[in-house]
Amino acid sequence: MPSLAVTLGELQLANPILSASGTFGHGLEMEQFAPPERLGGLVSKTVTLRPRPGNPAPRIHETEAGFLNSIGLENRGLETYLAETLPEVAGADTRIFCNIGGESPEEYARLAALLDERSEIDALEINLSCPNVQGGRLPFSTDPALAERCVRAVREATSKPIFAKLSPNVSRIAELAVAVEQGGADGITAVNTLLGMQVDWRSGKPGLATVMGGYSGQGIKPVALRCAWECVQAVSIPVLGCGGIADADDVLEFLAVGCAAVQVGTASFSDPGLLGHLAADLAARLEAAGLESIAQVRGSLERHLSAK
Amino acid sequence: MPRPPEDSRSQTAEVISVESLGADGVLLRVRPQEPLPRLRGARFFMLRREDRLSPAIPRPFSLYDQAGDELVFLIKLLGRGTRALGDMQPGARLRLIGPLGNGWPTFTPAQPLVMLAGGIGSVPFLVGIADALREGVAAEDMTMIYGAATAAQLFEFERFAALGVRVLAATDDGSRGFAGHALECLAVEQEEGRIPPDAWLYACGPGPMLAAVERLSRNTGVPAWLSLEELMGCGVGICNGCPVPTRPEGPLGAWNNAKCCVEGPVFSTDAIQIAEN
Repeated sequence: MPSLAVTLGELQLANPILSASGTFGHGLEMEQFAPPERLGGLVSKTVTLRPRPGNPAPRIHETEAGFLNSIGLENRGLETYLAETLPEVAGADTRIFCNIGGESPEEYARLAALLDERSEIDALEINLSCPNVQGGRLPFSTDPALAERCVRAVREATSKPIFAKLSPNVSRIAELAVAVEQGGADGITAVNTLLGMQVDWRSGKPGLATVMGGYSGQGIKPVALRCAWECVQAVSIPVLGCGGIADADDVLEFLAVGCAAVQVGTASFSDPGLLGHLAADLAARLEAAGLESIAQVRGSLERHLSAK
Repeated sequence: MPRPPEDSRSQTAEVISVESLGADGVLLRVRPQEPLPRLRGARFFMLRREDRLSPAIPRPFSLYDQAGDELVFLIKLLGRGTRALGDMQPGARLRLIGPLGNGWPTFTPAQPLVMLAGGIGSVPFLVGIADALREGVAAEDMTMIYGAATAAQLFEFERFAALGVRVLAATDDGSRGFAGHALECLAVEQEEGRIPPDAWLYACGPGPMLAAVERLSRNTGVPAWLSLEELMGCGVGICNGCPVPTRPEGPLGAWNNAKCCVEGPVFSTDAIQIAEN
């Protein structure tokens, strides 16, 4: 069996496959379809300090090769997460990443401080890049100085590993990657959804009540792969690739551009059982290629380019 | 957090047949890889073709019928997702996620009831009527009012009529049965004493019809359950794409909305608020 184990800084993962935030529940809601121990890590839906009712319906709209969402970070807030969800996930034999969302560096820091005390959590993922709040302005993931401040505030509030989730909706994602590394991030998740929209030309009615939303799914993979690669080149901390991954070949493409691990999102809606067998699929793919470890694939793009 | 039902699975199913019904309907018959036990009416499955990139996400369909180890779906062709399913060939496989949702609540023996179907909203009643009969509701205590725009859209009317309960047709254009909406038909039936005024209501159909049933139930105090259809991304309680506004004073009032997929699709009208008062 090829080795799938990966190391992200001080974190050991059984395999490089994580669930992407918002596509796998807060806790163990998906365990009957995809047992958590088959994942390298489970990333929670974004938790905010106070409960958020979410955006009006329609919140989802399918487009070609993916879909648009504008959920608006609906969640019951940190208090409920701490009291109900965390005790539930404590027994899961995988790494638990808690994804947090805030409206100021201070709010991110407060969340991080309150979560720092909980041993069930292995790492924090800072959602700097939800397009469905604050009118899609994405303040924390488009302004490098603000992104750095946010990450630094979290860094000072917790000793847990922190991963900053970046947005593809920027001109030069490498600048954001460098900023969050300087702020003290232990890793980067690249990327969140692309801003998109849909309209019915007959009625003029938008596909989403908020008009704009986040586009995800297989259609965004080339963009996500490019963003991940730009981040890999710009920083020395591990990059988790995310965007349009639906099978083992997609996983390997993100590893080839230098990602340390990946996150799988929308594909879990097409088949909630996908993450129950994706790591095994990956091992089979490597074995069929005569490879012993994912380390042999990681960074193959760079090796190819420099050999030229 | 509400979880998907314990008996739900993600598996594939083989297409046995696809049969056209009327102008825009198909009967899709599939055989799941793992056979399923008898299921309650108004439970649903997410279906998706896996042989193409689009549609990317599965679509929810209420169970129409079970025959041996086959599941039958009655699908109205509306957009890309339904057309993709309607184009499938026997022998092809599709993704089948379910059974999902709660289904109709357990029926109460000796309680007269009315099943109100609007167009393709008839689907969850074929099994639902059988459930009610099995659970002790007398055939003479049950009426189904099956409404549609025209007679051609009363999909499989004769099958419902053959279940042994009274089934009335109501068409907007008067091409079959009562000329008017299902709820107007109900009012006439009640006025003329053929349906008791305290009959409980079970409804599935277009949004405006369900909102009208909610208002009726609110005004008369008669219990009513609505089987809702919402856009769904996942069907298993994860994506938060199918919110249904809750009534603050109702049983689900602790949160501003319920998830149609895992807390429904059947809701009692004291739990939710879909009508704009």
